[in-house]
Amino acid sequence: MAAGYFGRYLRLDLTTGVSTRVPIDEATLRHFIGGVGLGTVLLTRETSARFDPLGEESCVAFAFSPLVGTPITTSAKFAVVCKSPLTGRLNDALSSSDFAVLGKRSGHDAIVLRGRAEEPCIVLIDEAGARIEPCADLWGTEKGISQLDEQLQKRHPGFAFAIIGTAGEHGVRYATLSNGGRHAGRGGIGAVLGSMRVKAVGVRGRSPISLHAPNDVLEISRDLAKRSLGNATAKYRELGTVANLATFNRLAVLPTRNFQSSQFEGADALSGEQLQATRAQGRGSCRNCTIGCEHFFSARRGNETNRVKMEYESLFALGPLCGVDDPDTVLAASHLCDEFGLDTISAGGTIAFAMECAERGMLESYGEESTIRFGDAEALLELLGHIARRDTPLGDLLADGSQRAADVIGGDAPDFAPHVKGMEIPGYEPRGLQTMALGFAVGTRGADHNRSGAYEVDFSGEVDRFAPNEHAARLAVQTENRASVIDSLILCKFLRGVFAETEGGLYAAASHMLRAVTGWAIDAAEIEVAAERICLAKKLFNIREGWSRSEDTLPKRFTEQALQDGPAKGAVVQIADLEKLIATYYETRGWRSDGSVSQEHIRTYALDREFASLT
Amino acid sequence: MVRIELYGVPRLRAGVQAVDVQASTIGDALLQLQRACPQLEPDVLTGGKLNAAYVVAIDGGTLTRDPQVPLNAGDTLVLLTSQAGG
Repeated sequence: MAAGYFGRYLRLDLTTGVSTRVPIDEATLRHFIGGVGLGTVLLTRETSARFDPLGEESCVAFAFSPLVGTPITTSAKFAVVCKSPLTGRLNDALSSSDFAVLGKRSGHDAIVLRGRAEEPCIVLIDEAGARIEPCADLWGTEKGISQLDEQLQKRHPGFAFAIIGTAGEHGVRYATLSNGGRHAGRGGIGAVLGSMRVKAVGVRGRSPISLHAPNDVLEISRDLAKRSLGNATAKYRELGTVANLATFNRLAVLPTRNFQSSQFEGADALSGEQLQATRAQGRGSCRNCTIGCEHFFSARRGNETNRVKMEYESLFALGPLCGVDDPDTVLAASHLCDEFGLDTISAGGTIAFAMECAERGMLESYGEESTIRFGDAEALLELLGHIARRDTPLGDLLADGSQRAADVIGGDAPDFAPHVKGMEIPGYEPRGLQTMALGFAVGTRGADHNRSGAYEVDFSGEVDRFAPNEHAARLAVQTENRASVIDSLILCKFLRGVFAETEGGLYAAASHMLRAVTGWAIDAAEIEVAAERICLAKKLFNIREGWSRSEDTLPKRFTEQALQDGPAKGAVVQIADLEKLIATYYETRGWRSDGSVSQEHIRTYALDREFASLT
Repeated sequence: MVRIELYGVPRLRAGVQAVDVQASTIGDALLQLQRACPQLEPDVLTGGKLNAAYVVAIDGGTLTRDPQVPLNAGDTLVLLTSQAGG
């Protein structure tokens, strides 16, 4: 077995309580690297077509990578891969720090949970295997995730825990999995684990990580750490991702009031610059990271002051998208989401959608809850709790996400429900960033800014962001491919600017790292093929689960209603233009014009073992 | 007169939100910006040219890195980082 790997994963059947060490052949590891790639192929092999993500056949794969446990900056990461209860499609989320390192040092390249436990439990994994421990005292409590984490660590010293909150217990379709203040946030992993009756997964281990060429790895680590402190990451270090808000507002791409506008009159108060000037409470970083992008801010609520970590996506979704301009409220809402275990983007997106429905008089049957309005800070905070607990009619409705809520509300609600494939759209206005519009439309995870970096194309200055051409579509494919490699190595995407400055780019850098860690004679060309393969595997999983061409699109709001704000005035996604971009995207990928994939193409990427039945 | 608005790291480095310059092209404007705010070098500008991570938007609309693009009196250039992730 190549260095950097253990060559096996741990499968725990929660229904029977039996755990098994399952070998992984070296070809699979070389084809999929680790992280999202490895998690995708293991999920595919462990499940049959069209399984219910919240049913007894459900499955969650935690995947590490050959770089985890090395000193390479930002490499302390893990992927969690499952079928999303929000989208019914592949869901891959990433988180970081101790869980990644201790999980890998338990002696496994991945951990797969299947089935459903008899009663609420925690799962403990180390070199000895897995054990299931009932946890009735932790289930159904009012405690937030951070308090539960402290309690679990006192009970089981030496373990790092990934925990679901109240939202996961109640099957909120965008419930997160949280570890050490970080979140595998999107797509409802928390709901899947909740349906399995797993409150937390704890990992520990001391298994040594083998390295093929330790001195080379050290040299690579030092070089990358040094370059990670350069200009390419200055924004993340000095202001954090919250810096996007003021810039996006100026460019009229800041989603506001459920995407009815793209500029927000309250943006100054919420801007990263203003938060830094008035509320900065220091920085933090993931384990083994030299960038340190986490920025904390003080949030006052009554007599209480909390120190809250804030990212752009949470800021936009709980602020402008809901018409809320009070920083204390937005910070408090983000803190609540973290404690309940709610994805901030989907929570904000779904609530903003409900606010618009209420203002249009479409929620009359929900009684007092129908009075919510844009900018209503108290309603936002209260609704988060009702969603997490599903304890009011509107909270229960919104816990299923904007797509399902729109179907229940009826009328023209589906036209302005802000999602793709059921996943709420992040903070990039598609009408003003139309390469990103393509990225959202074709995304395997739904509307997604982490698996497609198509916004990079819009921001590059190389294409017209209001009318991207076919070249832009091809560049969008490249951003997905690069993301798939970064997510499989696994490293932080905030290094992508550093890799862009590297001779040979990301793929050369990745091959250099993998050669030193694993001993494989792997080159940049093979990495690029792996990138295509991983993207294709995700697509094929979706086809297996029922993907249809009609879901690669955007809601009518974006294709029929022009923006009216500032430099984006008049911008709309022309459906014919979007279709052309999608056609170019499929063609560049080597897919058929209807988005399906030939068996020949599947064989080209050696995916016929997993997807032989697809045509 | 052309106004250059600064966002993110450029604003932090320069210590101001906007600078007014006399310029007929983007290249001219950036050269004058560097003279007015020398602290933008080396992180944001080098010799009046944009470093890789930065881009300008004319009147907040079209994004470009082309120094030859002509400007008219009254135009606004928005200087921002092109790394939008997060």
